[in-house]
Amino acid sequence: METDTTQTLTLNEKRLLIALNTKKEAGPELLAGELATTGEAVIQYALSCAGKGLATVDRAVAVAFRLTPEGETYAREGLPERQVLESFDERIAMKELQQHPLARIGIGWMRKKGWVAIREGIVEKTGDAPQGEDEAALQDLAASDAGLKMLLKRGLVAEEESVAHTIRITPEGEALVAAGIDLAEEVGTLTREQIVSGEWKNLKLRRYSVTTLPRRVFPGKIHPYQQLLGEMRRILLNMGFAEIYGDVVQSSFWNFDALFQPQDHPAREMQDTFFIDVRRECPEGWETVRDMHEAGGETSSTGWGGAWSRDTAEGCVLRTHTTGLTIRYLHDNPEPPVKAFSIGRAYRREAIDPTHTPEFEQLEGVVMDDGVTFRHLLGFLREFYRQMGFEDVRFRPGYFPYTEPSVEPEVWVDGLGWVELGGAGVFREEVTAANGLACPVLAWGLGISRLAMLRMNLKDLRLLYRSDVDWVREYPLSRAQARGGR
Amino acid sequence: MPIITLLYEYLETLVGTDRETILARLPMFGADIERMEEDHVDVEFFANRPDLYSTEGVARALRGFLGIETDLPAYEVAPSAIDFSVDPGLAGIRPYLGSAVIRNVHLDEDSIVSLMGLQEALHWAVGRGRKKVAIGIHDLARITPPFRYYAADPATAFIPLDFDREMTLTEILADHPKGRDYAHIVEPYPRYPLIVDAHDRVLSFPPIINGELTRVTEETTDILLDTTGTDRRAVMTAVNIICTAFAETGATIESVHVDGEQMPSLAPSERTVSVAECRRLLGIDLAAADLAALLQRMRIGAVPDGTDRVRIRIPCYRADIMHDWDVFEDAAIAYGYDAIEPALPRTFTIGREHPVSRCMDLVRTLMVGLGFQEMMPFTLTSERVLFANMRRDADPATLRLMRPISEEQTVVRTTILPMLAEILQLNVHRELPMRLFAVGDVVQHAATHQHAAAVSMHPEADFSEIYAAADVLCRELGLASTIAESDDPAFIPGRRGDIFVGGARVGVFGELHPEVLGAFELDQPAAGLELDLRAVLQSPSRRDTP
Repeated sequence: METDTTQTLTLNEKRLLIALNTKKEAGPELLAGELATTGEAVIQYALSCAGKGLATVDRAVAVAFRLTPEGETYAREGLPERQVLESFDERIAMKELQQHPLARIGIGWMRKKGWVAIREGIVEKTGDAPQGEDEAALQDLAASDAGLKMLLKRGLVAEEESVAHTIRITPEGEALVAAGIDLAEEVGTLTREQIVSGEWKNLKLRRYSVTTLPRRVFPGKIHPYQQLLGEMRRILLNMGFAEIYGDVVQSSFWNFDALFQPQDHPAREMQDTFFIDVRRECPEGWETVRDMHEAGGETSSTGWGGAWSRDTAEGCVLRTHTTGLTIRYLHDNPEPPVKAFSIGRAYRREAIDPTHTPEFEQLEGVVMDDGVTFRHLLGFLREFYRQMGFEDVRFRPGYFPYTEPSVEPEVWVDGLGWVELGGAGVFREEVTAANGLACPVLAWGLGISRLAMLRMNLKDLRLLYRSDVDWVREYPLSRAQARGGR
Repeated sequence: MPIITLLYEYLETLVGTDRETILARLPMFGADIERMEEDHVDVEFFANRPDLYSTEGVARALRGFLGIETDLPAYEVAPSAIDFSVDPGLAGIRPYLGSAVIRNVHLDEDSIVSLMGLQEALHWAVGRGRKKVAIGIHDLARITPPFRYYAADPATAFIPLDFDREMTLTEILADHPKGRDYAHIVEPYPRYPLIVDAHDRVLSFPPIINGELTRVTEETTDILLDTTGTDRRAVMTAVNIICTAFAETGATIESVHVDGEQMPSLAPSERTVSVAECRRLLGIDLAAADLAALLQRMRIGAVPDGTDRVRIRIPCYRADIMHDWDVFEDAAIAYGYDAIEPALPRTFTIGREHPVSRCMDLVRTLMVGLGFQEMMPFTLTSERVLFANMRRDADPATLRLMRPISEEQTVVRTTILPMLAEILQLNVHRELPMRLFAVGDVVQHAATHQHAAAVSMHPEADFSEIYAAADVLCRELGLASTIAESDDPAFIPGRRGDIFVGGARVGVFGELHPEVLGAFELDQPAAGLELDLRAVLQSPSRRDTP
């Protein structure tokens, strides 16, 4: 049985270790001969073994000299000046000597070395032309340091760095070889042929080290916050709600008046709401809404009193909640039963800081049917929050301008206690009657960014909208889906 | 919503029980406990219950809720023979006046804290920042009736509270701290509201400041109350809440003749409600006697009248009760929200996705498959980011905010690609490649529709990569699209394409122009695309798309 370490060795690494074990230490060339491969490959195998603690690789850098191709020619045939010198007897005309193929290099060096003198176009030997240090070095680079330097200067010798590797086996390596190594042929990558022919049965597939960390890649991904929105959407669809999606721009009529929000309500001031320079006519039947505001219409309500302004209702805003969409949907679909929801951005005129953004997601659901009651509203709320993973839900009295009774649901979060999460109520009769609805409407809403902060443990709301790409990359989707509560 | 400070000892004395009992039940009455301190608790009450903005009012309600003293609190009003006149010249300015005389007042430190808090909270919640209602409290011993409320010449002068010299009304608006805070309420008018006594001595310059003359101190025993405003009902609500809060401390209330009308009456208003309707709303099984008992605990007078009817008398300080359902909510609170067992109705409906959501989810699936990460940028942005940075001409269909809150957010986005470029800018040091997409609302001509956008940034990001992504979107979304060379200046000429469907340009893609990269401080090549999803949805008007 092989050890864990030998299982991760390649065949070449095993062969190297066996060869090395007999020598204990060797250079790559020697081993290359034995393994019938190149020195470079041997170094690769050795480094890989070194990574597993089975061998060491020492690297020594040495400077070496060698003849350049030109130098090699002269080593055989003599330096140009020697060849030119030997091409004539005592003297020769310069013109004639210049015909020699090496004349251009040779003549200069002959003069420089004092072998010839040139007078009136005649080149004459001085008679003194001894074998030089450079010529000795040319035959044997080790023969003369001075000659070597001269040849270096003339570019006949080049300096070369050479790296010498010494490979040694470690005691662990020795132990491994002593324990026995299986040298069966190994395969790294399966080929189509091996698979189709059945050859794979005879192959030994190399085993990989699974503890080595893989390359870290980041998949395409739905934003963690969108993941949460999607989950809430699924819950409501599963509970039988129809989805509403609508315009960001709403008339004050739908955003406020149809919901019985008095025209002097602070939320309707420029201070708190984004107004835009757009006007939209009030829908047919707007008089019912007016009557409701002024004196309570046909209901038991007193209304707000004062005069209701159609002009004010025609001004437009970026929706301050999605409830304007909801009431319009009910107005257009007045036949019970209706269960509908929306998830969308709402806008409030607030400066951006870690816990406020001028736009944020809001979830909203309504149930309209004969015979539904406040008790049923609590039932829906409890079910919805349980689906969201909050097992413990409690209800406290609340106040919202368009619901009566109103309720503030709270969920239990370990470490935080009871956390208020949204608001709910039965639409006031001033709202339902003004919009031609005969049945009670149970309604609830929820600022989802607050829930997201709770779920994702975020301290800064802005991260949802101006995301750090690394945060999205690293945030596990499972956590975005994980149910909250306890 | 206002936060009211309740001093424990004062509250315990008024309620008649210990603080532990009170704090345990308070949340179920409809209040958020903000913080608890050594000697007091800060509690947030709802905007519809200004009668709870004083310790006296809270104690009155809690005595009922805890069963210590139930049924309608009775308040007597004796006539005072004091006259108060209102100048018809105030009609367009601040026409309504409410008043009362409050005697046998024993102000100490605790009750002054409570009453000052009440006045502040009423100014905010009922008075809408003093615009709708403003309240003045005066030491009656220092002034002589009859009193006169009139539209005065701005040159009239008196010594305002906290000053030691006479100032004209104009000077007060310019130099007095309260004058500067509230000048906007009266400045549009040529004459300002003023209250004077028989000798023309100034009591108050509503809604700005009282005179120093009538300053209330611990020695004050008799008070003249004035409330002025633009809404008669709100003005009378403020009078009723203040008078009954004083009455809770043992003071007696006397009426004032305002242009011949005796006020305040402090009489309850009457209604008859249906027990069956209450059952239908709440889903709780109640008999007439049960409902009456519950309402009495909310300090509402209630007497059963047959099996289905209960005759009720609503205390004058309950301005929030407009409709029978408001009464039923009180019954539910007295019953206890925690005592109502939640139930699911039998309503049968089928869940239905909106096509817009389904389409956006499809885009998400495709872009994730292509290796892009989703982003959810703001829809509010600036023309600099939308147009200047993108080398594009401003779109005249852009929706502008009338009063933006910052220079970065002045318009609603018309496209999404610039938002992604901005997110790249924020993440410029993150590992490449970065491939981002977003899908969501854009607004043009004040109408909302949806776009998808994507961007890829890395050293090899190019036309062919983004063309391939655009091609995937078009094929998978079922668009019969054709591509033509684009002239969108956001992209490099010759490396940009327009997507056409049925002759209409519905999208664009290409390599972002180096000047665009520069504008967003990006130093790597990037390619982007944008697709108008109307091409997919083709639903100009739907009933479920309000």
